[in-house]
Amino acid sequence: MNLADFSILVIDENPDRAAIVERGLVEGGYTRVSRIGTSFNLVERIQALAPDIIIIDLENPDRDTLEQMFQVSRAISRPIAMFVDQSDSSMIRESVEAGVSAYVVDGLRQDRIRPIVEMAISRFNAFHQLRRERDEAMAKLSERKLIDRAKGLLMQEKGLTEAAAYNLLRKNAMKQNRKIYEIAQSVITAFQLEF
Amino acid sequence: MSLMQVRLGFVPLIDCALPVVARAKGFAEDENIDLVLVREMSWAAIRDKLSYGLFDAAHLLAGIPLAARLGLGGMPSQHLVVPMALGRGGNAITVSTRLYQCMLEADPAAMRGPRGLSARALKKVIDGDRAAGRPVLSFATVFPFSSHNYELRYWMAAAGIDPDNDVNIGVIAPSRMFDSLRNGWVDGYCVGEPWNQRAVFHGDGVIVALKDDIWARSPEKVLGVREDWALSNAETLDALVRALVRAAEWADQSENRTELAQLLSEEQYVGASFDILRASLHGRPVLKPGDDPVEAPDRHVFYRYTATFPWLSQGVWVGRQMQRWGQVGHQVNFNDVVRDVYRPDIYRRAVTSLDVALPVEDWRVEGLDNASDRALVGPDSFLDGTLFDMRA
Repeated sequence: MNLADFSILVIDENPDRAAIVERGLVEGGYTRVSRIGTSFNLVERIQALAPDIIIIDLENPDRDTLEQMFQVSRAISRPIAMFVDQSDSSMIRESVEAGVSAYVVDGLRQDRIRPIVEMAISRFNAFHQLRRERDEAMAKLSERKLIDRAKGLLMQEKGLTEAAAYNLLRKNAMKQNRKIYEIAQSVITAFQLEF
Repeated sequence: MSLMQVRLGFVPLIDCALPVVARAKGFAEDENIDLVLVREMSWAAIRDKLSYGLFDAAHLLAGIPLAARLGLGGMPSQHLVVPMALGRGGNAITVSTRLYQCMLEADPAAMRGPRGLSARALKKVIDGDRAAGRPVLSFATVFPFSSHNYELRYWMAAAGIDPDNDVNIGVIAPSRMFDSLRNGWVDGYCVGEPWNQRAVFHGDGVIVALKDDIWARSPEKVLGVREDWALSNAETLDALVRALVRAAEWADQSENRTELAQLLSEEQYVGASFDILRASLHGRPVLKPGDDPVEAPDRHVFYRYTATFPWLSQGVWVGRQMQRWGQVGHQVNFNDVVRDVYRPDIYRRAVTSLDVALPVEDWRVEGLDNASDRALVGPDSFLDGTLFDMRA
Protein backbone atom coordinates (compact mmCIF):
# COMPACT_ATOMS: atom_id res chain seq x y z
CA MET A 1 0.00 0.00 0.00
CA ASN A 2 1.41 3.39 -1.01
CA LEU A 3 1.06 6.44 1.15
CA ALA A 4 -1.31 7.89 -1.40
CA ASP A 5 -3.60 4.90 -1.01
CA PHE A 6 -4.26 5.39 2.68
CA SER A 7 -7.64 6.90 3.32
CA ILE A 8 -7.40 9.03 6.46
CA LEU A 9 -10.33 10.71 8.19
CA VAL A 10 -9.77 13.53 10.68
CA ILE A 11 -12.71 14.19 13.02
CA ASP A 12 -12.37 17.36 15.04
CA GLU A 13 -14.77 19.97 16.40
CA ASN A 14 -11.95 22.49 16.15
CA PRO A 15 -11.59 23.38 12.46
CA ASP A 16 -8.24 25.13 12.97
CA ARG A 17 -6.66 22.12 14.59
CA ALA A 18 -8.16 19.80 11.97
CA ALA A 19 -6.68 21.96 9.22
CA ILE A 20 -3.23 21.83 10.79
CA VAL A 21 -3.38 18.03 11.04
CA GLU A 22 -4.69 17.69 7.52
CA ARG A 23 -1.97 19.92 6.10
CA GLY A 24 0.69 17.93 7.90
CA LEU A 25 -0.57 14.67 6.49
CA VAL A 26 -0.90 16.00 2.95
CA GLU A 27 2.61 17.47 3.09
CA GLY A 28 3.78 14.09 4.34
CA GLY A 29 2.55 12.46 1.17
CA TYR A 30 -0.87 11.23 2.25
CA THR A 31 -3.24 12.58 -0.35
CA ARG A 32 -6.54 10.97 0.66
CA VAL A 33 -7.31 12.97 3.77
CA SER A 34 -10.86 14.05 4.65
CA ARG A 35 -12.07 15.92 7.66
CA ILE A 36 -15.44 16.34 9.31
CA GLY A 37 -16.68 18.21 12.35
CA THR A 38 -19.53 17.03 14.52
CA SER A 39 -22.45 15.53 12.67
CA PHE A 40 -25.46 13.51 13.70
CA ASN A 41 -25.08 11.08 10.80
CA LEU A 42 -21.53 10.20 11.74
CA VAL A 43 -22.00 6.47 11.13
CA GLU A 44 -23.28 6.96 7.58
CA ARG A 45 -20.52 9.42 6.75
CA ILE A 46 -17.83 7.09 7.97
CA GLN A 47 -19.34 4.21 6.03
CA ALA A 48 -19.34 6.34 2.89
CA LEU A 49 -15.73 7.45 3.33
CA ALA A 50 -14.50 3.97 4.37
CA PRO A 51 -11.33 5.31 6.01
CA ASP A 52 -8.35 3.12 6.85
CA ILE A 53 -7.50 5.33 9.78
CA ILE A 54 -9.55 7.77 11.83
CA ILE A 55 -7.74 10.48 13.80
CA ILE A 56 -10.01 12.08 16.37
CA ASP A 57 -9.34 14.35 19.30
CA LEU A 58 -9.32 12.34 22.50
CA GLU A 59 -12.04 14.34 24.24
CA ASN A 60 -14.54 14.31 21.40
CA PRO A 61 -17.87 12.85 22.63
CA ASP A 62 -18.29 11.21 19.21
CA ARG A 63 -15.71 8.65 20.33
CA ASP A 64 -18.34 6.90 22.45
CA THR A 65 -20.48 6.57 19.33
CA LEU A 66 -17.53 5.33 17.29
CA GLU A 67 -16.60 2.65 19.80
CA GLN A 68 -20.09 1.18 19.66
CA MET A 69 -20.05 1.32 15.89
CA PHE A 70 -16.78 -0.59 15.69
CA GLN A 71 -18.16 -3.24 18.02
CA VAL A 72 -21.20 -3.98 15.94
CA SER A 73 -19.79 -5.65 12.87
CA ARG A 74 -22.87 -5.15 10.76
CA ALA A 75 -22.69 -1.39 11.24
CA ILE A 76 -19.50 -1.10 9.25
CA SER A 77 -18.05 -3.18 6.47
CA ARG A 78 -14.53 -3.28 7.90
CA PRO A 79 -13.84 -3.74 11.58
CA ILE A 80 -11.83 -1.01 13.25
CA ALA A 81 -9.90 -1.09 16.48
CA MET A 82 -7.84 1.35 18.44
CA PHE A 83 -4.52 1.66 16.73
CA VAL A 84 -2.33 0.51 19.48
CA ASP A 85 -1.00 -2.86 20.31
CA GLN A 86 0.12 -3.52 23.81
CA SER A 87 3.81 -3.33 22.98
CA ASP A 88 3.48 0.29 22.09
CA SER A 89 2.54 1.76 25.42
CA SER A 90 4.95 4.71 25.23
CA MET A 91 3.34 5.77 22.00
CA ILE A 92 -0.18 5.46 23.42
CA ARG A 93 0.86 7.52 26.39
CA GLU A 94 2.30 10.16 24.11
CA SER A 95 -0.90 10.29 22.10
CA VAL A 96 -3.15 10.45 25.17
CA GLU A 97 -1.05 13.30 26.53
CA ALA A 98 -1.26 15.10 23.20
CA GLY A 99 -5.02 14.55 23.12
CA VAL A 100 -4.96 12.35 20.03
CA SER A 101 -6.92 9.18 19.56
CA ALA A 102 -6.71 6.93 16.52
CA TYR A 103 -8.77 4.04 15.20
CA VAL A 104 -7.57 1.85 12.35
CA VAL A 105 -8.91 -0.90 10.17
CA ASP A 106 -7.98 -4.22 11.69
CA GLY A 107 -4.92 -5.86 10.19
CA LEU A 108 -3.10 -2.74 9.07
CA ARG A 109 0.56 -3.13 9.91
CA GLN A 110 1.79 -1.20 12.89
CA ASP A 111 4.74 0.27 10.98
CA ARG A 112 2.36 1.80 8.43
CA ILE A 113 0.21 3.37 11.10
CA ARG A 114 2.96 4.73 13.30
CA PRO A 115 4.08 7.64 11.06
CA ILE A 116 0.49 8.79 10.64
CA VAL A 117 -0.19 8.80 14.35
CA GLU A 118 3.17 10.44 15.04
CA MET A 119 2.32 13.15 12.56
CA ALA A 120 -1.03 13.72 14.27
CA ILE A 121 0.65 13.86 17.69
CA SER A 122 3.23 16.39 16.56
CA ARG A 123 0.58 18.52 14.88
CA PHE A 124 -1.66 18.45 17.95
CA ASN A 125 1.30 19.45 20.08
CA ALA A 126 2.21 22.21 17.64
CA PHE A 127 -1.37 23.47 17.70
CA HIS A 128 -1.48 23.56 21.48
CA GLN A 129 1.91 25.27 21.57
CA LEU A 130 0.59 27.93 19.20
CA ARG A 131 -2.46 28.39 21.34
CA ARG A 132 -0.35 28.70 24.48
CA GLU A 133 1.81 31.31 22.79
CA ARG A 134 -1.26 33.19 21.68
CA ASP A 135 -2.65 33.12 25.23
CA GLU A 136 0.66 34.33 26.59
CA ALA A 137 0.76 37.10 23.98
CA MET A 138 -2.75 38.16 24.99
CA ALA A 139 -1.71 38.15 28.62
CA LYS A 140 1.36 40.25 27.78
CA LEU A 141 -0.85 42.68 25.92
CA SER A 142 -3.08 43.15 28.93
CA GLU A 143 0.00 43.59 31.17
CA ARG A 144 1.17 46.29 28.75
CA LYS A 145 -2.21 47.98 29.02
CA LEU A 146 -2.10 47.92 32.84
CA ILE A 147 1.32 49.54 32.85
CA ASP A 148 0.21 52.23 30.39
CA ARG A 149 -2.84 53.00 32.47
CA ALA A 150 -0.81 53.25 35.70
CA LYS A 151 1.71 55.51 33.96
CA GLY A 152 -1.13 57.71 32.72
CA LEU A 153 -2.56 58.02 36.23
CA LEU A 154 0.83 58.90 37.71
CA MET A 155 1.46 61.49 35.01
CA GLN A 156 -1.97 63.04 35.43
CA GLU A 157 -2.24 62.95 39.20
CA LYS A 158 1.37 63.38 40.27
CA GLY A 159 2.60 65.54 37.38
CA LEU A 160 5.34 63.07 36.41
CA THR A 161 6.82 62.67 32.96
CA GLU A 162 6.23 59.36 31.21
CA ALA A 163 9.80 58.24 31.83
CA ALA A 164 9.64 59.21 35.50
CA ALA A 165 6.31 57.38 35.93
CA TYR A 166 7.77 54.23 34.38
CA ASN A 167 10.92 54.46 36.49
CA LEU A 168 8.82 54.80 39.62
CA LEU A 169 6.90 51.64 38.76
CA ARG A 170 10.11 49.78 37.94
CA LYS A 171 11.89 50.91 41.09
CA ASN A 172 9.02 49.71 43.28
CA ALA A 173 8.79 46.42 41.42
CA MET A 174 12.50 45.80 42.06
CA LYS A 175 12.27 46.84 45.67
CA GLN A 176 9.28 44.58 46.36
CA ASN A 177 10.49 41.78 44.14
CA ARG A 178 7.33 41.88 42.05
CA LYS A 179 6.49 42.27 38.38
CA ILE A 180 6.00 45.77 37.00
CA TYR A 181 2.44 45.00 35.89
CA GLU A 182 1.63 43.89 39.46
CA ILE A 183 2.80 47.24 40.79
CA ALA A 184 0.81 48.92 38.01
CA GLN A 185 -2.26 47.02 39.15
CA SER A 186 -1.69 48.21 42.74
CA VAL A 187 -1.31 51.79 41.56
CA ILE A 188 -4.56 51.60 39.59
CA THR A 189 -6.36 50.07 42.57
CA ALA A 190 -4.96 52.77 44.87
CA PHE A 191 -6.20 55.55 42.61
CA GLN A 192 -9.58 53.85 42.29
CA LEU A 193 -9.84 53.76 46.08
CA GLU A 194 -8.96 57.42 46.34
CA PHE A 195 -11.68 58.59 44.02
CA MET B 1 0.46 18.41 56.89
CA SER B 2 0.45 19.04 53.15
CA LEU B 3 -2.45 17.78 51.10
CA MET B 4 -2.10 14.86 48.69
CA GLN B 5 -3.35 15.83 45.26
CA VAL B 6 -5.74 13.40 43.57
CA ARG B 7 -6.93 14.15 40.04
CA LEU B 8 -10.37 12.69 39.42
CA GLY B 9 -12.22 12.75 36.09
CA PHE B 10 -16.03 12.87 35.97
CA VAL B 11 -18.85 13.10 33.46
CA PRO B 12 -21.57 15.70 34.16
CA LEU B 13 -24.44 13.58 35.52
CA ILE B 14 -26.27 13.62 38.85
CA ASP B 15 -24.28 10.60 39.96
CA CYS B 16 -21.02 12.56 39.87
CA ALA B 17 -22.38 13.92 43.18
CA LEU B 18 -19.98 12.08 45.51
CA PRO B 19 -16.70 13.51 44.18
CA VAL B 20 -18.31 16.95 43.86
CA VAL B 21 -19.60 16.85 47.45
CA ALA B 22 -16.30 15.44 48.71
CA ARG B 23 -14.54 18.49 47.31
CA ALA B 24 -17.13 21.20 47.88
CA LYS B 25 -18.17 20.17 51.41
CA GLY B 26 -14.64 19.58 52.66
CA PHE B 27 -14.75 15.80 53.14
CA ALA B 28 -11.70 15.36 50.91
CA GLU B 29 -9.77 18.07 52.74
CA ASP B 30 -10.66 16.41 56.07
CA GLU B 31 -8.79 13.38 54.75
CA ASN B 32 -5.83 15.54 53.64
CA ILE B 33 -6.72 15.22 49.99
CA ASP B 34 -6.66 18.04 47.48
CA LEU B 35 -9.30 16.59 45.16
CA VAL B 36 -8.92 18.12 41.70
CA LEU B 37 -12.04 17.48 39.60
CA VAL B 38 -11.81 17.40 35.81
CA ARG B 39 -15.00 17.45 33.76
CA GLU B 40 -15.08 15.17 30.70
CA MET B 41 -17.74 14.79 28.03
CA SER B 42 -16.94 11.25 26.90
CA TRP B 43 -16.55 7.88 28.61
CA ALA B 44 -13.83 6.85 26.17
CA ALA B 45 -11.82 9.95 27.08
CA ILE B 46 -12.19 9.36 30.82
CA ARG B 47 -11.16 5.70 30.43
CA ASP B 48 -8.06 6.61 28.41
CA LYS B 49 -6.97 9.42 30.71
CA LEU B 50 -7.31 7.14 33.73
CA SER B 51 -5.55 4.25 32.01
CA TYR B 52 -2.55 6.35 30.97
CA GLY B 53 -2.06 8.28 34.16
CA LEU B 54 -3.57 11.68 33.37
CA PHE B 55 -6.09 10.94 36.13
CA ASP B 56 -5.53 9.13 39.43
CA ALA B 57 -9.19 8.19 39.81
CA ALA B 58 -12.39 8.38 37.81
CA HIS B 59 -16.19 8.28 37.92
CA LEU B 60 -16.80 5.26 35.67
CA LEU B 61 -19.58 3.15 34.25
CA ALA B 62 -19.59 -0.20 36.06
CA GLY B 63 -18.81 -2.06 32.83
CA ILE B 64 -15.72 -0.05 31.88
CA PRO B 65 -13.19 -1.57 34.32
CA LEU B 66 -14.36 -5.09 33.39
CA ALA B 67 -14.20 -4.40 29.66
CA ALA B 68 -10.80 -2.76 30.15
CA ARG B 69 -9.44 -5.78 32.01
CA LEU B 70 -10.51 -8.04 29.13
CA GLY B 71 -9.15 -5.66 26.50
CA LEU B 72 -12.57 -5.31 24.85
CA GLY B 73 -13.52 -2.64 22.36
CA GLY B 74 -10.20 -2.68 20.54
CA MET B 75 -8.35 -1.47 23.62
CA PRO B 76 -5.21 -3.03 25.06
CA SER B 77 -5.97 -4.62 28.43
CA GLN B 78 -5.87 -2.20 31.36
CA HIS B 79 -5.66 -3.15 35.00
CA LEU B 80 -8.25 -0.93 36.61
CA VAL B 81 -9.79 -1.74 39.97
CA VAL B 82 -13.04 -0.76 41.67
CA PRO B 83 -12.64 -0.02 45.40
CA MET B 84 -16.19 1.33 45.79
CA ALA B 85 -19.46 2.10 44.03
CA LEU B 86 -20.63 5.71 43.67
CA GLY B 87 -24.28 5.18 44.57
CA ARG B 88 -27.06 3.85 42.44
CA GLY B 89 -30.19 4.90 40.65
CA GLY B 90 -30.70 7.80 38.32
CA ASN B 91 -31.17 6.06 34.98
CA ALA B 92 -34.42 5.96 33.04
CA ILE B 93 -35.78 5.05 29.65
CA THR B 94 -37.25 8.03 27.85
CA VAL B 95 -39.10 7.89 24.53
CA SER B 96 -40.16 10.70 22.21
CA THR B 97 -43.67 12.06 22.74
CA ARG B 98 -44.51 10.64 19.30
CA LEU B 99 -43.42 7.11 20.22
CA TYR B 100 -45.18 7.46 23.56
CA GLN B 101 -48.46 8.18 21.77
CA CYS B 102 -47.94 5.12 19.55
CA MET B 103 -47.25 2.94 22.61
CA LEU B 104 -50.32 4.28 24.37
CA GLU B 105 -52.53 3.52 21.37
CA ALA B 106 -50.98 0.11 20.77
CA ASP B 107 -51.42 -1.21 24.31
CA PRO B 108 -53.14 1.09 26.83
CA ALA B 109 -53.22 -1.69 29.44
CA ALA B 110 -49.45 -2.17 29.39
CA MET B 111 -48.96 1.59 29.69
CA ARG B 112 -51.01 1.70 32.88
CA GLY B 113 -48.22 -0.14 34.63
CA PRO B 114 -46.22 -1.53 36.18
CA ARG B 115 -43.67 0.62 34.35
CA GLY B 116 -41.14 -2.20 34.17
CA LEU B 117 -43.43 -3.94 31.69
CA SER B 118 -44.09 -0.92 29.45
CA ALA B 119 -41.96 -2.50 26.72
CA ARG B 120 -44.96 -4.74 25.95
CA ALA B 121 -46.53 -1.71 24.31
CA LEU B 122 -43.31 -1.05 22.44
CA LYS B 123 -43.39 -4.62 21.17
CA LYS B 124 -46.84 -3.99 19.67
CA VAL B 125 -45.61 -0.79 18.03
CA ILE B 126 -42.66 -2.67 16.53
CA ASP B 127 -44.90 -5.46 15.23
CA GLY B 128 -47.24 -2.90 13.69
CA ASP B 129 -44.36 -0.98 12.08
CA ARG B 130 -42.99 -4.18 10.59
CA ALA B 131 -46.36 -5.20 9.14
CA ALA B 132 -46.72 -1.73 7.61
CA GLY B 133 -43.15 -1.75 6.24
CA ARG B 134 -42.10 1.26 8.32
CA PRO B 135 -38.42 1.77 9.25
CA VAL B 136 -37.20 0.31 12.54
CA LEU B 137 -37.04 2.49 15.65
CA SER B 138 -33.71 3.82 16.90
CA PHE B 139 -32.62 3.88 20.52
CA ALA B 140 -29.48 5.14 22.17
CA THR B 141 -27.49 4.32 25.27
CA VAL B 142 -24.35 6.03 26.55
CA PHE B 143 -21.62 3.46 25.97
CA PRO B 144 -21.32 -0.16 24.79
CA PHE B 145 -20.34 -1.33 28.32
CA SER B 146 -22.89 0.67 30.28
CA SER B 147 -25.58 -0.38 32.71
CA HIS B 148 -27.84 1.75 30.48
CA ASN B 149 -27.23 -0.57 27.56
CA TYR B 150 -27.96 -3.64 29.67
CA GLU B 151 -31.03 -2.11 31.34
CA LEU B 152 -32.54 -1.04 28.02
CA ARG B 153 -31.93 -4.50 26.58
CA TYR B 154 -33.27 -6.24 29.70
CA TRP B 155 -36.46 -4.17 29.56
CA MET B 156 -36.93 -4.90 25.85
CA ALA B 157 -36.06 -8.60 25.98
CA ALA B 158 -38.47 -9.22 28.87
CA ALA B 159 -41.26 -8.10 26.53
CA GLY B 160 -40.11 -10.33 23.68
CA ILE B 161 -38.21 -7.67 21.72
CA ASP B 162 -34.88 -8.71 20.19
CA PRO B 163 -32.70 -5.63 20.80
CA ASP B 164 -30.23 -6.69 18.10
CA ASN B 165 -32.74 -7.17 15.31
CA ASP B 166 -36.03 -5.46 16.12
CA VAL B 167 -34.55 -1.99 16.82
CA ASN B 168 -31.34 -0.08 16.21
CA ILE B 169 -29.34 0.60 19.36
CA GLY B 170 -26.52 3.11 19.05
CA VAL B 171 -24.39 5.13 21.43
CA ILE B 172 -24.57 8.87 22.07
CA ALA B 173 -22.66 10.69 24.82
CA PRO B 174 -25.00 11.75 27.69
CA SER B 175 -24.85 15.47 27.06
CA ARG B 176 -25.94 14.99 23.45
CA MET B 177 -28.90 12.70 24.15
CA PHE B 178 -31.45 15.40 24.63
CA ASP B 179 -30.75 17.14 21.30
CA SER B 180 -30.82 13.80 19.51
CA LEU B 181 -34.31 13.06 20.80
CA ARG B 182 -35.54 16.58 20.18
CA ASN B 183 -34.26 16.51 16.59
CA GLY B 184 -35.77 13.10 15.92
CA TRP B 185 -32.45 11.29 15.38
CA VAL B 186 -33.48 8.71 17.98
CA ASP B 187 -36.91 7.58 19.20
CA GLY B 188 -35.81 6.80 22.73
CA TYR B 189 -32.85 6.38 25.04
CA CYS B 190 -31.59 5.12 28.35
CA VAL B 191 -29.41 7.67 30.14
CA GLY B 192 -28.70 8.95 33.65
CA GLU B 193 -30.31 12.06 35.08
CA PRO B 194 -30.67 14.95 34.47
CA TRP B 195 -31.02 14.03 30.78
CA ASN B 196 -34.38 12.23 31.13
CA GLN B 197 -35.99 14.83 33.32
CA ARG B 198 -34.76 17.52 30.97
CA ALA B 199 -36.56 15.96 27.98
CA VAL B 200 -39.78 15.85 30.01
CA PHE B 201 -39.43 19.45 31.28
CA HIS B 202 -38.93 20.64 27.71
CA GLY B 203 -41.91 18.64 26.43
CA ASP B 204 -39.86 16.43 24.11
CA GLY B 205 -40.00 13.09 25.88
CA VAL B 206 -41.83 10.80 28.27
CA ILE B 207 -40.15 8.57 30.84
CA VAL B 208 -41.58 5.05 30.39
CA ALA B 209 -39.41 3.20 32.95
CA LEU B 210 -37.13 4.19 35.80
CA LYS B 211 -34.05 2.16 36.61
CA ASP B 212 -35.81 1.04 39.79
CA ASP B 213 -38.64 -0.39 37.70
CA ILE B 214 -36.17 -2.64 35.86
CA TRP B 215 -33.99 -3.72 38.76
CA ALA B 216 -34.21 -1.81 42.04
CA ARG B 217 -30.70 -2.69 43.22
CA SER B 218 -28.99 -2.42 39.85
CA PRO B 219 -25.40 -1.18 39.94
CA GLU B 220 -24.50 2.20 38.52
CA LYS B 221 -21.29 4.21 38.57
CA VAL B 222 -18.13 3.08 40.31
CA LEU B 223 -14.87 4.63 41.40
CA GLY B 224 -12.06 3.41 39.15
CA VAL B 225 -8.31 3.58 39.82
CA ARG B 226 -5.31 1.85 38.27
CA GLU B 227 -4.19 -1.26 40.10
CA ASP B 228 -0.56 -0.06 40.29
CA TRP B 229 -1.69 3.31 41.65
CA ALA B 230 -3.85 1.56 44.27
CA LEU B 231 -0.84 -0.47 45.38
CA SER B 232 1.63 2.38 45.62
CA ASN B 233 -0.85 4.89 47.09
CA ALA B 234 -2.77 2.65 49.49
CA GLU B 235 -3.12 5.30 52.20
CA THR B 236 -4.28 7.96 49.77
CA LEU B 237 -6.74 5.54 48.23
CA ASP B 238 -8.20 4.63 51.63
CA ALA B 239 -8.51 8.32 52.45
CA LEU B 240 -10.23 8.96 49.12
CA VAL B 241 -12.70 6.13 49.73
CA ARG B 242 -13.46 7.51 53.19
CA ALA B 243 -13.99 11.03 51.83
CA LEU B 244 -16.36 9.72 49.16
CA VAL B 245 -18.29 7.53 51.62
CA ARG B 246 -18.73 10.50 53.96
CA ALA B 247 -19.83 12.60 50.97
CA ALA B 248 -22.36 9.85 50.17
CA GLU B 249 -23.74 9.99 53.69
CA TRP B 250 -24.18 13.76 53.39
CA ALA B 251 -25.73 13.55 49.90
CA ASP B 252 -28.24 10.91 51.01
CA GLN B 253 -29.89 13.14 53.64
CA SER B 254 -33.11 14.54 52.22
CA GLU B 255 -32.47 17.86 53.99
CA ASN B 256 -29.26 18.25 51.96
CA ARG B 257 -30.77 17.48 48.56
CA THR B 258 -31.74 21.06 47.72
CA GLU B 259 -28.21 22.25 48.46
CA LEU B 260 -26.91 19.35 46.39
CA ALA B 261 -29.12 20.36 43.46
CA GLN B 262 -27.75 23.91 43.77
CA LEU B 263 -24.18 22.65 43.85
CA LEU B 264 -24.58 20.33 40.87
CA SER B 265 -26.30 23.03 38.82
CA GLU B 266 -23.01 24.98 38.71
CA GLU B 267 -21.48 25.06 35.24
CA GLN B 268 -18.24 23.44 36.41
CA TYR B 269 -20.18 20.37 37.61
CA VAL B 270 -23.37 19.22 35.86
CA GLY B 271 -24.49 22.61 34.61
CA ALA B 272 -28.19 21.68 34.28
CA SER B 273 -31.13 23.72 35.57
CA PHE B 274 -31.70 23.71 39.32
CA ASP B 275 -35.42 22.84 38.94
CA ILE B 276 -34.68 19.73 36.91
CA LEU B 277 -31.96 18.55 39.30
CA ARG B 278 -34.11 19.24 42.35
CA ALA B 279 -37.12 17.31 41.00
CA SER B 280 -34.96 14.27 40.40
CA LEU B 281 -32.90 14.52 43.60
CA HIS B 282 -35.98 14.84 45.79
CA GLY B 283 -37.34 11.60 44.35
CA ARG B 284 -40.27 13.37 42.73
CA PRO B 285 -39.63 13.06 39.00
CA VAL B 286 -42.16 14.16 36.41
CA LEU B 287 -42.62 11.34 33.91
CA LYS B 288 -44.79 13.05 31.30
CA PRO B 289 -44.92 16.73 30.31
CA GLY B 290 -47.68 18.43 32.29
CA ASP B 291 -48.18 15.56 34.74
CA ASP B 292 -47.80 15.77 38.50
CA PRO B 293 -44.56 14.33 39.86
CA VAL B 294 -44.56 10.69 40.97
CA GLU B 295 -43.13 9.47 44.25
CA ALA B 296 -39.86 7.65 43.64
CA PRO B 297 -37.99 7.94 46.96
CA ASP B 298 -35.15 5.67 45.79
CA ARG B 299 -34.58 7.57 42.54
CA HIS B 300 -31.09 8.53 43.74
CA VAL B 301 -29.52 6.43 46.46
CA PHE B 302 -26.03 7.52 47.47
CA TYR B 303 -25.37 5.91 50.83
CA ARG B 304 -28.16 3.79 52.32
CA TYR B 305 -28.71 0.20 51.16
CA THR B 306 -24.92 -0.37 50.82
CA ALA B 307 -24.95 1.89 47.75
CA THR B 308 -21.20 2.49 47.97
CA PHE B 309 -20.22 -1.16 48.54
CA PRO B 310 -18.58 -2.83 45.51
CA TRP B 311 -20.73 -5.97 45.46
CA LEU B 312 -19.08 -8.83 43.57
CA SER B 313 -22.48 -10.17 42.54
CA GLN B 314 -23.31 -6.87 40.84
CA GLY B 315 -20.03 -6.90 38.91
CA VAL B 316 -20.70 -10.48 37.82
CA TRP B 317 -24.21 -9.49 36.68
CA VAL B 318 -22.71 -6.77 34.47
CA GLY B 319 -20.21 -9.26 33.06
CA ARG B 320 -22.92 -11.81 32.29
CA GLN B 321 -24.87 -9.13 30.43
CA MET B 322 -21.79 -8.57 28.26
CA GLN B 323 -21.95 -12.25 27.42
CA ARG B 324 -25.69 -12.28 26.95
CA TRP B 325 -25.41 -9.62 24.26
CA GLY B 326 -22.38 -11.07 22.53
CA GLN B 327 -19.80 -8.48 23.62
CA VAL B 328 -17.58 -11.24 24.98
CA GLY B 329 -17.57 -15.02 24.65
CA HIS B 330 -18.95 -17.47 27.19
CA GLN B 331 -15.48 -18.90 27.84
CA VAL B 332 -14.74 -15.90 30.10
CA ASN B 333 -15.36 -16.71 33.77
CA PHE B 334 -16.64 -13.45 35.22
CA ASN B 335 -16.58 -14.79 38.77
CA ASP B 336 -12.78 -14.74 38.43
CA VAL B 337 -12.51 -11.50 36.44
CA VAL B 338 -14.69 -9.63 38.93
CA ARG B 339 -12.63 -10.84 41.88
CA ASP B 340 -9.60 -9.22 40.24
CA VAL B 341 -11.37 -5.96 39.48
CA TYR B 342 -13.93 -5.37 42.23
CA ARG B 343 -12.13 -4.85 45.53
CA PRO B 344 -14.45 -5.03 48.55
CA ASP B 345 -11.30 -5.79 50.58
CA ILE B 346 -10.04 -2.25 49.92
CA TYR B 347 -13.45 -0.80 50.80
CA ARG B 348 -13.62 -2.73 54.08
CA ARG B 349 -10.05 -1.71 54.95
CA ALA B 350 -10.69 1.96 54.17
CA VAL B 351 -13.92 2.38 56.17
CA THR B 352 -12.83 0.54 59.33
CA SER B 353 -12.67 3.83 61.22
CA LEU B 354 -16.12 4.92 60.02
CA ASP B 355 -19.47 3.71 61.23
CA VAL B 356 -20.56 2.14 57.93
CA ALA B 357 -23.01 -0.77 57.75
CA LEU B 358 -21.23 -3.64 56.01
CA PRO B 359 -22.62 -6.88 54.58
CA VAL B 360 -21.23 -10.16 55.94
CA GLU B 361 -20.44 -11.52 52.46
CA ASP B 362 -19.10 -9.69 49.41
CA TRP B 363 -21.88 -11.10 47.23
CA ARG B 364 -25.55 -12.04 47.49
CA VAL B 365 -28.31 -13.58 45.42
CA GLU B 366 -29.48 -10.51 43.49
CA GLY B 367 -33.20 -9.97 43.06
CA LEU B 368 -33.94 -11.62 46.40
CA ASP B 369 -36.41 -9.14 47.84
CA ASN B 370 -37.63 -9.16 51.44
CA ALA B 371 -34.77 -11.42 52.52
CA SER B 372 -33.21 -11.26 55.99
CA ASP B 373 -30.83 -8.51 54.79
CA ARG B 374 -33.66 -6.24 53.59
CA ALA B 375 -32.89 -3.46 56.06
CA LEU B 376 -29.27 -3.42 54.94
CA VAL B 377 -29.66 -3.70 51.16
CA GLY B 378 -33.09 -2.19 50.54
CA PRO B 379 -35.71 -3.21 48.00
CA ASP B 380 -34.44 -5.62 45.37
CA SER B 381 -36.35 -7.17 42.52
CA PHE B 382 -36.02 -7.59 38.78
CA LEU B 383 -38.97 -6.59 36.62
CA ASP B 384 -39.50 -10.22 35.62
CA GLY B 385 -39.10 -11.55 39.17
CA THR B 386 -36.01 -13.65 38.36
CA LEU B 387 -33.09 -14.20 40.73
CA PHE B 388 -29.45 -13.79 39.81
CA ASP B 389 -27.16 -16.21 41.63
CA MET B 390 -23.55 -15.73 40.54
CA ARG B 391 -22.72 -19.31 41.60
CA ALA B 392 -25.08 -20.69 38.95
